[in-house]
Amino acid sequence: MSEADQKMICVTLDGEKRLLAIGEKLSALATTELPCGGHGKCGKCKAIVKGEVSPISDKERQALSDSEIAAGVRLLCCTFAEGDCEIVHLDSTSGDLVLMEGKALDQPLDPLFSRYGVALDIGTTTMAARLYAANGTVLADHGMLNPQSVYGADVISRIEAAMGGDAHPLALAVRGAIDEILTVLAQSAGIPAREIDALVVTGNTAMLYLLTETDVEPLSHAPFHVERLFGEVLRADALGLTALQGDASVYLPTCIAAFVGADTVCALLASDICETGKTVLLADIGTNGEMALVHQGTLTVCSTAAGPAFEGVGISMGMRGAIGAIDRVRVENGALVAHVIGEGAPIGICGSGLVDTIACLLETEAIDETGYMEDDEAQIAAPVVLTQQDVRMVQLAKSAICAGLQTLLKTAGVDVSEVESLVLAGGFGSYLDAKNAGRIGLIPAELAQKTAVIGNAALDGASMILLDKSASARADRIAKSAKVKELSADPVFSEFYMMGMMFSD
Amino acid sequence: MINLSEISENLQRGKTKVVKELVQQAIDEGCKPEDILEQGLLHGMGIIGEKFKNNEVYVPEVLVAARAMNAGAQLLKPLLAASGVAATGKVCIGTVQGDLHDIGKNLVKMMMEGKGLEVVDLGTDVSADTFVQAAIEQNCQVICCSALLTTTMNVMGDVVKAAEAAGVRDKVKIMVGGAPVNEDFCKSIGADCYTTDAASAADAAVALCKA
Repeated sequence: MSEADQKMICVTLDGEKRLLAIGEKLSALATTELPCGGHGKCGKCKAIVKGEVSPISDKERQALSDSEIAAGVRLLCCTFAEGDCEIVHLDSTSGDLVLMEGKALDQPLDPLFSRYGVALDIGTTTMAARLYAANGTVLADHGMLNPQSVYGADVISRIEAAMGGDAHPLALAVRGAIDEILTVLAQSAGIPAREIDALVVTGNTAMLYLLTETDVEPLSHAPFHVERLFGEVLRADALGLTALQGDASVYLPTCIAAFVGADTVCALLASDICETGKTVLLADIGTNGEMALVHQGTLTVCSTAAGPAFEGVGISMGMRGAIGAIDRVRVENGALVAHVIGEGAPIGICGSGLVDTIACLLETEAIDETGYMEDDEAQIAAPVVLTQQDVRMVQLAKSAICAGLQTLLKTAGVDVSEVESLVLAGGFGSYLDAKNAGRIGLIPAELAQKTAVIGNAALDGASMILLDKSASARADRIAKSAKVKELSADPVFSEFYMMGMMFSD
Repeated sequence: MINLSEISENLQRGKTKVVKELVQQAIDEGCKPEDILEQGLLHGMGIIGEKFKNNEVYVPEVLVAARAMNAGAQLLKPLLAASGVAATGKVCIGTVQGDLHDIGKNLVKMMMEGKGLEVVDLGTDVSADTFVQAAIEQNCQVICCSALLTTTMNVMGDVVKAAEAAGVRDKVKIMVGGAPVNEDFCKSIGADCYTTDAASAADAAVALCKA
């Protein structure tokens, strides 16, 4: 059947009329990203669907809960249009991809709240939150960009802004965003926001300092001696949150050090790696990479400023993992084949696409093992290209992460072969191709087969604390037991870092 | 007779062991130490520096080349001292107080050594007074300050002030560098020179020492 023969039907998408050919997937119209590539795995395209569509598939039965199926929720990537129909999204996240899902929580229930509670992760770039009912079910989730970004993309520039007199506006910005998130969560669940009586707010140390308007000066220079490491309960009104009752509680989990925060503690809690007795590495790769090693019951953590290359910043055609971003690249018959989020025309490249691209260009020998490109630029998928300077930026970023992991191992006297698992937390880690990450030296190649992805583990950990009164004490123990490895000015790290910039086989 | 360009070529490829052997061979054959240094080691490092500026080679190649150069230079040092050959100049370098990030600083140091400069490495977290005292005591013509953080780069202004307070501002040049630093910042604190990369910094330091 040629395109002209295809019968068009009318789809109402969140109130807007759109045309679609019969037999097409509804995801062709959707504005949500499909991290799984439209394979019915990630659940990102969940929406309520009414009207003439294909019957529910086995894949959807697996991915959706009974109550969701009863409510008419479908996966748009598995639902085909058969006639006029309507799609209503559960929530919208401004077209930006904020990682919500983590592993399913299977845990004791003794919540910090009586009616509703919210777990919230303040990332430097994105904020993500989940609303829970007292029986432990997730009622809604929502994410948005951290509005503090206008004061600078990275932690240090925000600290500088706060020291330069913008501490109060920075606090107001993030508090306003929390109020907005709480309001949206309550709306999507159909409950009054003022019935949310407890919040667990995690984030890196700087984010919690900025939220509480604590003096950030100690975070601005070595020796980074911080007095306040949280593990505290505050009142909502003391934080100036207006969406809640004034006496609602806000728990801020314990941080480890100036640059290893409560988010890492929460990720460690959720990952459970401190309890297993195994030798396990954890990496949360973002603008700041936080890494942890558990070996013989000892926890060592470090952080390294990888830079924002994997968030698409500082790369000539880089972008965040949103619609139009190239997120997957492979080599076919000597040429690069790119996948674009949203299946439309490419407009840029995000972190996972960047890792794939470098691995592919090494395979096609467009880049040599030193990172040198014979041509000025390499085309990924018109008009998106990768320049020599982009390759250099990736070399810096990937080597910082890998060197951090290697330094943790070397300092603990652990050989990489002894590592049983490398746990990848956070958004970028979830979309990363582990084999390509090993190929380009973002992670030690030996560990590529041993990676486990745990999604937004910081948010999971915050949820665990919210749902189980005993979990905050466990998080606190993790934070207090951690040894911090300082990487800057460490000669072992320097050596790994500089030599790790190569792409050796 | 050994061809000194062979030393240069092996240095560019980071062949420390070969460079060492060739330098020793050249010495044994009676080559002038200055020639071995100029036409062998510094020549090779100069090419690496140019390629680095043009983005053709990157940090690891500079590092291995610099290591090869240092290995060769160690053999030449006593001979050069004996024959009264002076370095092109003397500088001190360090990361400013509160900043521990020394990778960029180390790269600049290697490039400067590759230009034949004598470099006093003050390490990390160096106070303004330490910079100035080192420059006075060790007779350095240039102070080089590095900072990676926007929150620590302002300490560079203190170094300029400390040099003024010590009454040596007219005798010593102050160079600044690091990711957040730029030309405007350099001017605003009254420093003498900023460059965008390590290789240019080495060239600039040589020029300042000659001036």
